Amino acid sequence: MFRGIIDRKSLWFIGAILIVLLILPPILPRFYTYILAVIFVTSLLAMSLNLVLGHGMIFQFHHGVFYGVGAYTAALMLSKTSLPMWIGFVAGPVVAALVGLLIGWFCVRLTRLYFGMLQISLGSLIWAIAFRWYSLTGGDDGIHGIPIPSLISSLNSSYYFILIILVICLVALYLILKSPFGTTLEAIRDNPQRCEAVGVNVRRHQLMAIVIATFFAGIAGVLFVVLEGSVFPDLLFWVLSLEVFIMCLLGGWFTFAGPILGAAIMVSLRTFVGIFTEYWTLILGVILILLIFFLPEGVMGYFLEKLKPQVREVAEGRGE
Amino acid sequence: MELGQGLDLASLGSQLLVGLSRAMILFVVCAGLSFVLGVLRVPNVAHGSLYMIGAFSAYSIFRFFGSSTGGFWLALILAPFVVALVSLVAERALFCHLYQREHLMLLLFTFALMLIFGDLVKLAWGPEYCSVVPPKVLRALPRYNFFLLIIGPLVAIALWFFTNRTKIGKISRAAAVDREMVGVIGINVSWVFAAAFVIGCYLAGLGGALVVPTVSVCLGMDHDIIIEAFLIVTIGGLGNMWGALVGSLIFGVTHSLGVLLWPQFAIVFPYAAVVIVLLLRPRGLLKSVW
Amino acid sequence: MLKVEAVDKSFGDFMAVCQANLSVDKGELVAVIGPNGAGKTTLFNLITGQLWPDRGRIIFKDEDISGLPAYEICKKGIARSFQIVNIFPRLTVFGNVQVAVLSQRRRSNTLFSPAQNLAVEETKSILESVGLSDKVTNIAGSLSHGDQKILEIAIALGNEPELLILDEPTAGMSPEETAATLGLIKNLAGSRGLTILFCEHDMDVVFSIAQSIMVMHQGQTLIQGKPQEVRENREVQEAYLGGG
Repeated sequence: MFRGIIDRKSLWFIGAILIVLLILPPILPRFYTYILAVIFVTSLLAMSLNLVLGHGMIFQFHHGVFYGVGAYTAALMLSKTSLPMWIGFVAGPVVAALVGLLIGWFCVRLTRLYFGMLQISLGSLIWAIAFRWYSLTGGDDGIHGIPIPSLISSLNSSYYFILIILVICLVALYLILKSPFGTTLEAIRDNPQRCEAVGVNVRRHQLMAIVIATFFAGIAGVLFVVLEGSVFPDLLFWVLSLEVFIMCLLGGWFTFAGPILGAAIMVSLRTFVGIFTEYWTLILGVILILLIFFLPEGVMGYFLEKLKPQVREVAEGRGE
Repeated sequence: MELGQGLDLASLGSQLLVGLSRAMILFVVCAGLSFVLGVLRVPNVAHGSLYMIGAFSAYSIFRFFGSSTGGFWLALILAPFVVALVSLVAERALFCHLYQREHLMLLLFTFALMLIFGDLVKLAWGPEYCSVVPPKVLRALPRYNFFLLIIGPLVAIALWFFTNRTKIGKISRAAAVDREMVGVIGINVSWVFAAAFVIGCYLAGLGGALVVPTVSVCLGMDHDIIIEAFLIVTIGGLGNMWGALVGSLIFGVTHSLGVLLWPQFAIVFPYAAVVIVLLLRPRGLLKSVW
Repeated sequence: MLKVEAVDKSFGDFMAVCQANLSVDKGELVAVIGPNGAGKTTLFNLITGQLWPDRGRIIFKDEDISGLPAYEICKKGIARSFQIVNIFPRLTVFGNVQVAVLSQRRRSNTLFSPAQNLAVEETKSILESVGLSDKVTNIAGSLSHGDQKILEIAIALGNEPELLILDEPTAGMSPEETAATLGLIKNLAGSRGLTILFCEHDMDVVFSIAQSIMVMHQGQTLIQGKPQEVRENREVQEAYLGGG
């Protein structure tokens, strides 16, 4: 399964980072451990979006909905039922993927622009329902004090839990992207008409990609619940989706790990800028404009082009 | 005549009127969105923010002139121009440099504008700013709803006249279909886009000003309206003004129905209607401009 | 093998194809010729499912395929190359053909095996047969125009078709490249037993290899027959070959 798809150097590099991350919690102040955990959860969310966005050119503008649905499902199952916790954890991504299938089915019949617009709108319906259904979802307060199993309820243990799940998911995503499914998805991104002509059912393939992406978004939602112990309707609000979208662009949406970088940058910025001003949204808008004008390939894309000569060929191929 | 649940024909009628007049405001906003979508082929996500700026400006102008009825009419005239000016600045300073890029970048730019405008409104008017609904003076405005019912068709006729009978309008229609050709015959496409963008935003501002007597003007209006506008434009047919009208009517009327039948989840009714329309006609009810 | 019967297709008021007829037998090399705008590409689009006919039928191996989506028609055994180069510019040459092979093997949806280990032999042998073996790892977008057109054909071969449709395969090629492509086409027809339908502007190419020629003019079929018949037909001479 792993034969030949990753080189030694990268493996050592990744291994080193992992070791560093593993030993950090006892050393760092609680606040920084918490921020790292937030970065992990957000990275998973951004990576799940980029599966369809950067590798499929599917304009999934309201990816946050599936994140929120996963989180709310887990929250509701943990706090309102006495079912064992792991059912709640599994239900989150499954329900998110089902919602993804439903919304995706509607949207995938339309072309790119329509797709995005419709998704924003349908996703907002879900937000509106969650916002108003006070008895079930706690309305605009959300749900708090969700009982998290004591094994993973402390900050450090939830940090490790989240890190482990993140690594497993990243491995899975990498395998998926390197598989025929992923190659065909990228071919659809580059030339959907040609793919149809070689026998690929483009719509069905895209729908499958969406279901996979929303499944992982649901996992991210569950991790959020583990970390915070609460859920809010903001998770379903489309401005969050927009932030995740920007993370992918910022990091580099045609690369594999770009979204992780984007998530790290955004979370750090948001946290530290938020200390000084309450106009984070304004700053975010300015960042986006700077990105559009100066860094359309994202940070990682920019560095890759500067550092690796063979990647320049790809860039030229793109300009064709 | 009883309709169950204590409903009677009178309340049905009045709710219907509210729904129709709300549909007219939606139409004014959506016509602008559709127009920009048709010519520039980009859904302006910041359209809702411009609507909000229109509403805030109108409210402030109204208050400035002593919260009088005359002040309101003045606001109704001035506020859309304020919005048009803001949009012109944004367009000439930044937007026009992106016309050669792919559509995704244009779309993202409008996202950025939405974020920025949202916080600019917060900066200018303060985060707690919220108007009283409806201002006492305007409650005395006789039959505001009927006024709205007239405005809607007026805007439709004016826009139709513009796109079909004036030179600029015809050029913008041509640019929507084939911008290269238009450039080749010597017309400055950039100015055409600027004009179209500003007109669309003017309509957004007008919608915002019109809505002031009927809802409380608060932060967050931009998000609410843009989602509805997207839905309406999608089911009406992209870039199609009459489609925007049909979509707005469907939206307004089903919302009123929802208010009558299930107030807590009234918003679900228009969405359900949208879903049904899209199941039957995924490309929208009327032909899209492209 | 393929029968097009009285097919119409119009775009608004413009009748692109009108009562077109075409017949292709198994193993034949058939050419469609006609001036620009005669409707050749539209006809091909109708056969392969990019467009659907307004009227008429398209029958492939005794099955009516009019109105089927493109990917289903492909699965029935028809593959095509495009007039305007339509490759995957960001993928490698290998990747371009592999997509088609994977689709043919129904492995497009495999999730957990690395793609680079699958269908390698088949892809390589196709690239060898068209003469692109030495450029396997190049990015497709960086190839010369002539090579890209050959890649077009290679991608179509990845679908192991029974009927191969080539839309102006030598357009924009130098004389050497044209000769090489001709040889390739003859080879494919001979050694692989492929049925080939193509359209071309270069009359030398057409008359040197086609066994049956169909002439289109303003969307209609003027005549279909052996090269000699077509050359001597007066209508064809007037409309297309310049009279006399």
